[in-house]
Amino acid sequence: MAERIVITATGIISALGRGTEQHTGALINKTAGMRHPLHLRTKHAGEFVCGEVDYSNDQLAALLGLPTGDNGYTRTTLLALVAMQELMSNTDTGLFTDNNFALVNANTVGGMCSVEDMYLDFISEKTEGPFLKYIDTLDCAESTLNIARYFQLKPFTATISTACSSSANSLILGARMIQNGVVQRAICGGCDALSRFTLNGFNSLKNVDKESCRPFDANRFGLNLGEGAAYLLLEKESDAIARGADILAVFSGYSNTNDAYHPTAPSPEGDGALRTMQLALQKAGLNESDIDYINAHGTATLNNDVAEGKAIQRLFSSKETAFSSTKPYTGHTLAAAGAIEALFSIWAIQQQKAWPNLNFHTPIEEMSISPVTEVKELDINHVLSNSFGFGGSNVSLIFSRA
Amino acid sequence: MMQPVYISSASVISPQQHFEDVGFLADVHDIAEGMLYVREPNYRGYINPVAIRRMSKLLKMGISCGMSALQRAGIEKPDAIITGTGRGSMVDTEQFLLNMIEMDEEALTPTSFIQSTYNSINGWLALQTKCTGYNQTYVNRGTSFELALFDAQMLLNEAEQEMHVLAGCFDEITPDYIKVKSKIGYWKQPIPANTDLLKHSNTPGTIAGEGSAFFTLTNKKENALCSLQAIATMQDAEPAEVMAAINPLLNKHGLALDDIDLLLCGMNGDSRQMEVYNQLSQSANGHTTIAAFKHLCGEYDTSSGFATWIATEIFKAGEIPDTLVIKKGSHKGIQNILLVNHYILNSHSIVLLQSVQ
Repeated sequence: MAERIVITATGIISALGRGTEQHTGALINKTAGMRHPLHLRTKHAGEFVCGEVDYSNDQLAALLGLPTGDNGYTRTTLLALVAMQELMSNTDTGLFTDNNFALVNANTVGGMCSVEDMYLDFISEKTEGPFLKYIDTLDCAESTLNIARYFQLKPFTATISTACSSSANSLILGARMIQNGVVQRAICGGCDALSRFTLNGFNSLKNVDKESCRPFDANRFGLNLGEGAAYLLLEKESDAIARGADILAVFSGYSNTNDAYHPTAPSPEGDGALRTMQLALQKAGLNESDIDYINAHGTATLNNDVAEGKAIQRLFSSKETAFSSTKPYTGHTLAAAGAIEALFSIWAIQQQKAWPNLNFHTPIEEMSISPVTEVKELDINHVLSNSFGFGGSNVSLIFSRA
Repeated sequence: MMQPVYISSASVISPQQHFEDVGFLADVHDIAEGMLYVREPNYRGYINPVAIRRMSKLLKMGISCGMSALQRAGIEKPDAIITGTGRGSMVDTEQFLLNMIEMDEEALTPTSFIQSTYNSINGWLALQTKCTGYNQTYVNRGTSFELALFDAQMLLNEAEQEMHVLAGCFDEITPDYIKVKSKIGYWKQPIPANTDLLKHSNTPGTIAGEGSAFFTLTNKKENALCSLQAIATMQDAEPAEVMAAINPLLNKHGLALDDIDLLLCGMNGDSRQMEVYNQLSQSANGHTTIAAFKHLCGEYDTSSGFATWIATEIFKAGEIPDTLVIKKGSHKGIQNILLVNHYILNSHSIVLLQSVQ
């Protein structure tokens, strides 16, 4: 990279809570956020655990000073706004008065969480009713525009949807726009709310675990879905220093590739994942031995974990690098996952701790390495974070100590 | 400032013509229902024959259009694949959603769920071309295609070697989509024939359309159809802000509005959204031809893909089909084309294309 890109502010909401302190507290105490959903109105609520955010829609609206009830805001947007509220409260908002910044959001199913409960009204002969407020909320850009409008921003806006790697891609786009001189700063992240659409979609693929998911375990069955949102402020190191900002971490490398193997499954030997991680290292100017902790994609699906595990084993063969999946804490938050785990990676550097892979008991037969299962004190300078998605979409990000 | 990049091939599927048709808007189709569905090409030959049987229409549109653009450029494997779509596969989304509601969340099959994923066409294009390079999907409503073009330009600016990017867009309409959006005044009533759309610009509403357009872009000037100079996108901008953005963008490229030979405008017949185009028409002097395109493709999130295809055809032909022209200008050749578009949900975009002659 030319000049270093750094992260100077963050905001997050997930099943672990709201804000940095609640999240790092939960990570350290090994407190997972999984439960049978209370807010998601699915007939399968008693069957599956999910990483559901504690707050109801009305409680989220109250945090934002918005009217409760059918206010036209989907849960997706509410989660995004609450995460952004934290970022904005930690930032000199004077930075965003001109339009020299980008808002890069990511999302996989837009306002489906609301639309799925109203769709029969949408397509009925009814022309009046509260559903009208939600009629333009299905697409992915809805949350992006509401962020801009709520905070009265006029940024360059972009929304990305590359399945489970979506918000990891947001960070890459933001960094590239800054490097290319298109904007000075970028707010990057993603959001997704639990929906019956995604729960039933993944369940139709038979890869949702009813119990808490078990990444990298031989007896894993599938993923747990989660919800949340996270955003990071990116800028050049010199700009951050010039304004006296706290530098949380350096965004030192990234890579976006495609498996070109199968519409939903990764290449079984992890070739795609391996190449993605190698290219990210190359971009960061680092060797694999420089990586101290890997926050794996680790969804606990049969396919992902064996492919990703083999790739990690192949690349980090010379050194037993600490790795774990934090999906058992939050569930798989889809478009938010890349940004949420970017924060987990940054906190790993700040706290000098590798986060535990909960629910791991038995190694996968094909693998000779096992994830970290306790909070592990480590000298951490560089963290690699993986996000792999449907459509063969692979992203690796590298964060380094400021 | 980003350097220009070059468009080396273009392919389209539209309500007027598709990539297997010869000619350029030779037969203009009159469609009276306010739903401008695409004319579908024979998809076989562009798509894996086993996979095609389960594919929905948008997947077939996007994959075949992308493969056709690559064929035209003589590229087997691009270095990157970047797309934009406002809504992805509406058919698959509606199908999985309705099945889920009707079957009460039981016994669902995954095909439509997988295909409703916005990047599924990207995945298929990568799979078919064995392209393991950069892969990205933008879903930013009315500027989704522009973001794909913008990313392609940035990626080519970053490249140190010759590079070929496949960039494109796809969106579709369904009867339910039309019905849903009719409840918030999207569509014109009564419905005019598409070719008469712009005669009704004094009333609210537009007509719906769909399409796909794909392009190969490269950092190499040889054999290019045209260059892509600059792209700007705006959300929630007042007409005055859009107007204020145009001159600086042109000035940066050593141009003024008077240097634009063709102003290709995204007016969609909706009186509520005419202000920018009215101001633009007044600002342009006699040199510039003012033209429109949405009476041919209808309104949809990525209609600017269709407009960009039109621009590449005009550079090739050296003339502007009468069906596009609103006001003829006195310009001799076609050196500069400025595409100014908007989408119903209050976004605007500006794209500057230049001849390589």
